[in-house]
Amino acid sequence: MTTRLIEESLFENRGNPEFDDGDPPRLTGARCSGCGTVVFPRQDSCPRCSGGAMSARTLPVSGRVWSWTRQAFPPKPPYRTPADGHRPYHVGYVDLGEVLVEALLAVSRAEVRIGLPVRLTTVPAYRDEDGTEVVTFAFRPERDGER
Amino acid sequence: MSRRDDVYVVGCGMRPFGRDESVTGMDMAERAVREALADAGVAWDDIGYAAGGSDVSGKPDTLVGRLGLTGVPFVNVQNGCATGASAVLAVANALRAGEASLGLAVGFDKHERGAFHVSAARYGLGDWYAESGMMLTTQFFALKTQRYLYEYGISERALAMVAARAFRNGSHHPLAWRRKPLTEQEILDSAEVSPPLTQYMFCSPGQGAAALVLALGDRAFDLCERPVKLASLAFRTRRFGSFEVFSPWLPPGPHHSPSIDAAEAAFRTAGVRPADVRVAQLQDTDSGSELIHLAETGLCGHGEQEELLAAGVTHATGRIPVNTDGGCLAGGEPVGASGLRQFHEVVRQLQGRAPGLQVPGGPRVGFTHVYGAPGISACSVLTV
Repeated sequence: MTTRLIEESLFENRGNPEFDDGDPPRLTGARCSGCGTVVFPRQDSCPRCSGGAMSARTLPVSGRVWSWTRQAFPPKPPYRTPADGHRPYHVGYVDLGEVLVEALLAVSRAEVRIGLPVRLTTVPAYRDEDGTEVVTFAFRPERDGER
Repeated sequence: MSRRDDVYVVGCGMRPFGRDESVTGMDMAERAVREALADAGVAWDDIGYAAGGSDVSGKPDTLVGRLGLTGVPFVNVQNGCATGASAVLAVANALRAGEASLGLAVGFDKHERGAFHVSAARYGLGDWYAESGMMLTTQFFALKTQRYLYEYGISERALAMVAARAFRNGSHHPLAWRRKPLTEQEILDSAEVSPPLTQYMFCSPGQGAAALVLALGDRAFDLCERPVKLASLAFRTRRFGSFEVFSPWLPPGPHHSPSIDAAEAAFRTAGVRPADVRVAQLQDTDSGSELIHLAETGLCGHGEQEELLAAGVTHATGRIPVNTDGGCLAGGEPVGASGLRQFHEVVRQLQGRAPGLQVPGGPRVGFTHVYGAPGISACSVLTV
């Protein structure tokens, strides 16, 4: 089965599109050389100081849930509802220190809360017409990796 | 500034909000304009400048084909939730600049059912954002509310109090859509949408139209027994650090809001304090938004909301009556019309002829506030 990232530019370029070495590809934003502001996704100008040069910045992989909610109803296209029907999912902002990133949360309803330590992972987003599994970034409870 | 340079509302019209398959958005707009003209006691060919807004229901200036081909300058405005306020601003500025002494602002819309459909490209975002299920306004409101309740120790019951008051006010208002009062428990127990927000804590896209006739200086007093002064109208976009809808990232904080800036500017220009306000309209796309906007506009302090709501302070008979017509929660949100609905309600309150619950004691200072994507706000102070 082939797999691809939902949007290459969001991720660190490792020349390894199959990312089969165990670690999920890291998120890449940009940092302003003038004021230190970190943005995600990367952009060519700083929204804060409009001054400095922006360079690629690999974001931390661990953080804490800053806010969360649950998507109870199926979003409209281009979101693709799974063939077997909508499954409510969690979404939130994760505080990575230098930036808060909005992401899917691969966290159960019983566990999800503000302050929960989480770690970067990937989850399936949808399947392409040709069967390719398209994956996107998400955060899962930190302790999952210690099992 | 002398009265000569002030802009006043001298007439207003509004069609019932909700769902009516027998009329188009444009039909409703035409009727709202005719009502506003009749209310002001003027004819369409008296209007020297016009501005109109609609998000999805047609080019507003085509209304001249129905109202009369007088050659009037007519500006089309499309500015999200601030469309109505932007139309009023365009007319008020034209009057002050000497373009005309009598102007008209109109807003209308008729939306499809269900959550607003938004395009990622229109907001400068990649398709991945929508494809991964994160591009929903409802999610943003829930995320902002969730964090706010956490930071200020506010309970979910406060959200139900906001909605219960909205539906109670709506039940008394002939132009509102949702006119069935609901208990706080019914609101808390309604279908989950995005926690902490439930179905009845959200407004729905709907349809509606509203229009205002504005006049400059002495002309206003010739036309109207009780003109309502547009003491200020401030419009702002977001600054750095603002927690906004459709944000794939946020800076670490503290977080800001264009509502804070717009409200501060509106109060400063008008020379009144938030504590002077006796009737207010706050953007209530959902209960959480209204709760947050109460503090962001300065009408109360952060974290005070639950106590104020529980004490009935925001009821029509309270110290700061909020959304006396039921707001977006009871009226739905036809984007182009929603801001003008706010003006309609506050003007009628200040004139002592509210269509629904009238704020007692002759209120003299009113306030309106809209907020929308991708981080815009407009606030006004209206006085008599």
